Amino acid sequence: MSVFSTKAEKVFILAFFFIALGVPLFFNENTFYVNKISTMLILSIFVMSLDYLVGKTGLISLGHAMFYGLGGYLFAIMVPEYEEVNFWIYTFYVMAASSVIALIVGLIVLRTSGIYMIMITLALAQMTFYFFADSTEYGGLDGLFIYLKPETSIFGLNFLDLDNETHFYYLCLLSLFNCYVFFKITLQSRFGRVIDAVKENPERATALGYNIFHFRLVAYVLSSSLAAYAGYLFSLQYGFVNPTMMSWEVSASALVMAILGGLGTVFGAILGVFVYESLHYGIEHMTQYWMFWMGSLIIVMVLTLKSGIAGLVEKLVTGKRK
Amino acid sequence: MILNKRTIKKIAMAGSMMSASLLSGMSAHAEEGPIKIGVMLPYSGVYAGPGEAATNGLKQALKEKGNKIAGRQVEFIISDTEAKPARAPELTSAMTDKDDADFIIGPVHSGVAMGMIKSIRNKDSIMIIPNAGINAATGAFCQPNVFRTSFSSWQTAYPMGSEAVKMGYKKVVTMSWNYGFGKESLEAFQESFEDAGGEVVKKIFVPFPNTEFQSYLTEIASIKPDAVFVFFAGGGSVKFVKDYDAMGLKGKIPLIGSGFLTEGTITAQGDAAEGLMTTLHYADTLDNPKNKAFRAEYKALYDKPADIYAVQGYDAGQLIIQAVEATKGNTADKKALIKAMEGVEIDSPRGSFHFSKAHNPIQNIYLRKVENGENMVVKTAAAALNDPARGCKL
Amino acid sequence: MDMSLFLVQLLNGVQYGLLLFLIASGLTLVFGVMGILNLAHGSMYMIGAYLVYYFASATDSFLLAVIIACVIAMIIGIIIERFLIIHLYNRDHLDQVLLTVGLIFIFNAAQSFIWGNDPLGVEVPELLSSSIQLTDIVEYPVYRLFLSVLCIGIALAMYYVINNTKLGMMIRAGESNREMVENLGVDISKLFTIVFAVGVTLSALAGIVSAPIVSLVPGMGERVLISCFVVVVIGGMGSIKGAFVAALLVGIVDTFASVLLPGMSSMTIYLLMALILIFKPQGLFKS
Repeated sequence: MSVFSTKAEKVFILAFFFIALGVPLFFNENTFYVNKISTMLILSIFVMSLDYLVGKTGLISLGHAMFYGLGGYLFAIMVPEYEEVNFWIYTFYVMAASSVIALIVGLIVLRTSGIYMIMITLALAQMTFYFFADSTEYGGLDGLFIYLKPETSIFGLNFLDLDNETHFYYLCLLSLFNCYVFFKITLQSRFGRVIDAVKENPERATALGYNIFHFRLVAYVLSSSLAAYAGYLFSLQYGFVNPTMMSWEVSASALVMAILGGLGTVFGAILGVFVYESLHYGIEHMTQYWMFWMGSLIIVMVLTLKSGIAGLVEKLVTGKRK
Repeated sequence: MILNKRTIKKIAMAGSMMSASLLSGMSAHAEEGPIKIGVMLPYSGVYAGPGEAATNGLKQALKEKGNKIAGRQVEFIISDTEAKPARAPELTSAMTDKDDADFIIGPVHSGVAMGMIKSIRNKDSIMIIPNAGINAATGAFCQPNVFRTSFSSWQTAYPMGSEAVKMGYKKVVTMSWNYGFGKESLEAFQESFEDAGGEVVKKIFVPFPNTEFQSYLTEIASIKPDAVFVFFAGGGSVKFVKDYDAMGLKGKIPLIGSGFLTEGTITAQGDAAEGLMTTLHYADTLDNPKNKAFRAEYKALYDKPADIYAVQGYDAGQLIIQAVEATKGNTADKKALIKAMEGVEIDSPRGSFHFSKAHNPIQNIYLRKVENGENMVVKTAAAALNDPARGCKL
Repeated sequence: MDMSLFLVQLLNGVQYGLLLFLIASGLTLVFGVMGILNLAHGSMYMIGAYLVYYFASATDSFLLAVIIACVIAMIIGIIIERFLIIHLYNRDHLDQVLLTVGLIFIFNAAQSFIWGNDPLGVEVPELLSSSIQLTDIVEYPVYRLFLSVLCIGIALAMYYVINNTKLGMMIRAGESNREMVENLGVDISKLFTIVFAVGVTLSALAGIVSAPIVSLVPGMGERVLISCFVVVVIGGMGSIKGAFVAALLVGIVDTFASVLLPGMSSMTIYLLMALILIFKPQGLFKS
C-alpha cells in the first residue's frame, strides 16, 4: 500500500513541501511573508488535528480552539518570566499537560455524539475562554506577553534560533511535516483501521469486541494535544497570547477550513488553510467589504465542490493523466 | 591579474564609493517616495464605528494639507484588524516589514494594542495609538516609538472621583464591563473618590460584551447608593443608559461615568441620556475656534457629527504633519523624528496638548453634561492632567 | 435578598428567558424538521433589528415597520432555501454548516454597507413606553412586559399549530421519520421551504421586537447565536417544548448567577449546559 491514499495527495504533498522548503529563499528580503507563511503552517497543524478528529473519527468539535489557546496559555503560565527555557522540554510539558486536560475533557464530551458533541465542546471551550477572559492573574481580555523565547539546544547542539524568522519558519515546516507523517502512520496502523471501522459502523466495531469509547478517547487526546502544540508555536511566534485564540469563531473558522480543504483527507487541511487564508488576505486588501466576497466565495465553493478543494485537486490530477 | 597596492586601493575606494552612493541613493530614494502611514483599525465587528471615525479624522487632517507634508506625498495603507488581538502581531508585521510604514495608526481595542506593542518593539515604524486606553501602553510597556493621541484609562476616570464628592455623593456603586479598560477606569475613579472621602460600596463587573443589564440594575436599586459610576462604550453605553432610564432609576440615583458613556451614542440613546454627567478630554461644545472649524469641516466631509474617536484620529494626523514638517520631510532618521514628535504642541479641537515623557497627552479633562443631545462643558475638571505612567522607564 | 427583590429578579429572568425562547425556537424548528444547523440564525436576528430600525424611521409607525420587516425576512428565508440549501440536502451536514457560515459573512457585510457601523437605537413605541412602579424604587418598563406576553403568545401559537393542524402533523412526522412523510405523499420540499422560512422569520421577529431594548451594533447576531445554542441543546435539539423550558431555565439561572456569583457569571450557563449534557446527553426533552 502506498503512503499516499490518492494521486492528488501524492502530487500535492510532494509539491507543497518541495516549494515550502524554498520559500525563505524567495522572500529573504521580506520577513513579513516568511512570518505570514509560518502562521499558515501553524494553522495547518491545528486544522489538520481537527480534520483528523472530524473527518477520520467522525467526532465533530466546535471547541477545538480551546486546545489551541491552552497550548499558548499553558506555556505562558508555566514559563518563568525572565529565564530562558528549553524549547523541547517545554514542548513536552505543554503537550503532556494538554493531553491530561484532553483526557478529562474527552471523558465528558465523548459521552455524547453528533450535534450534542458539537455543542458540549462549544460549551467547554466557552467556559475556558471566559476563565481566561475574566481572570486578573492571566491578563484578562488583554492577554499575556511571553518575554523570552526559549532556546532550542538538544544534546548540546543548538542550530535553531527562534528569534530568527527563517529558523522559526523551518521549525514550523518541520512540525507540520512531522504532524502529517504522524497522522498518516496512525491512520495506516492497526489503530487507524479500527478508528475507520468505528467511524463507518460503530455497532459492528463493538460487536467485534472493540471498546469504541477507548479508541475515540485516544484519537481525541492525540488530536487535542497536537492542536495545543500548534497554539504553543503560535504563542512563540509573536510572544503573545490572548483569550480570543480560543473563541468559538476560531473553532468555527478551523472547521470551515477543514471542510473546505476536504474532510478526512488530512492533506486537505493544508489546502484549506492556504486557500482560505490567501483569499482572506487578498480580498481584505482590495475592499473594505471583504466579508461579502469571502462569504460569496465560501458559498460558491460549497455548492460546486463536492469533496472540498482536495476533491478538485484530485479531479485535476487524474484528469490530466488520462 | 596582478594585484599591487594601487589597484587594491582603487578597488577598495571604488567599493566604498559604490556602497556610499548606494546608501545615499537609498536614503535619497526614501526621501522622495511617499510618507507611508499604516492604518490598523477595526472596520468590521463591534468596534467598527470608532475605527471608521478615527480614519475619517486622520484623513481630514491630511486633506487639509493636500495630502502632502514637506513636499512629500502621503500614502495610506489600510488594514482591518477586526478587533481580533490574535491577528494583531501579523498585521503589524505586514506594516513594519512588508510595507515599511513610517507610521502606524492603531488600534481601538486594548487587546489589539497589546499585540501591536509587542511586535513593534525595535522596529523602525512609529506607532500612534488613536484610542486604546490601556494604561500599560504608556506605562509599564512604554517604548520610544509608541505615542498616544488619545488618553490613558486612568486620565478619563480619575478626575470624576473628586468631582463626585463635590457633588455630594458619599456612597457609590461602580460598574463596568469586565475587561482592562473598564477595570482601569473603575480603579482610577475609586482612587480619587476614596482619597476625597467617598466610599465605593460595591463594584459590579459585567462579562464583556454582555448587554443584559436588568439583574444588575435591580441589584443597584436594592443597594440605593448616592450615585452610580459606570464605564461602558459604544453599543453597551446605548443599552445601559436606556435600560437605566426604563427601570426608573435615572431620576432617583444619579448616573455618572467616564465620558465614553455618551460619546458617539447620544443619537441612539435619545432622551435617556439627557442630564448625564461624565468626564472626558473632549466635549462637542468646547468653545475654541479649532474645535468649531474641525466640527464644521468634519460634518461637511462625512455628513455626521464628529465624536471623540474622530478627534483622536485627527490629532494623530496633526502629530504626523507637525513632526515631519519639523524634520523637513526626513522620515528616515527615526530618532530625530521621535524627538520632533516629543517636542510638538498640538492645537487640538480638545484644546492644545503636548506629550509626557511616556508619550501620553498631558491634557485637560472636562466635566460634561448632556443637554439637548450634546455634551456641554460644565467646567474643566482637571487642567493639564498627566498620567502617572506607572512602571514606565522612558 | 428580600422577597420583593427576589421577585423582581425572577421577573427579569423569566422575561429574558422568554426572549431567548423566541430567538431559539426558529433554530430548533429548522433543526428538528430539516436536520440543518443554521449558524446564520443570529444574522437574521440582526437583520430583523436593522430592518425595523430602517422602516420605523421611514414610516413613523412601529407596527407597520414590524410587518414589513417580517415579510422581508420571510422572503430572504425562502430565497436562501430555494436557491442555496436545496442543493445540499443530499450532502454531508457539515457542508450545510459551511454554507451558513458563508451567509454570516454576507449578512455582516450587508449590515455594514447599508446601515453603517455606529450604534443605533429604536424608540419604544409611544403606546408602550411607560413604566409600572414595582417597589419603592424599581419601575418596570411596560414594553418588556409586553414582550413577555408576546413571546408566550407565540409559544402557544406554535404549540397549537404543531399539535392541531395538518402542517403541524407534517412537522411532527418530519421530525421523527422523513421517509414516512414522503411515502405519505407529502411534498417534502414544500414543507422544507415553509419550515425554513418560518424559522428564519421567527429569528428576525425576535430581533425586531427586541430592537427597542437593545442597541443595534455590528456583530450583534453572533452574540445571540451562542445563547441560542445553549437553549436549544439543553432543551433537546428539535424540541419546541424543550426550548421553552430550557430558555426559562437559562434566563433565570443567568439572571441569578450574575447577582449571586459575580466572579463566574459568564461561565454559569455553559456550566449548566455541560452538566445537563453529562447526565442527559441528548438534552432534557429528546425529540
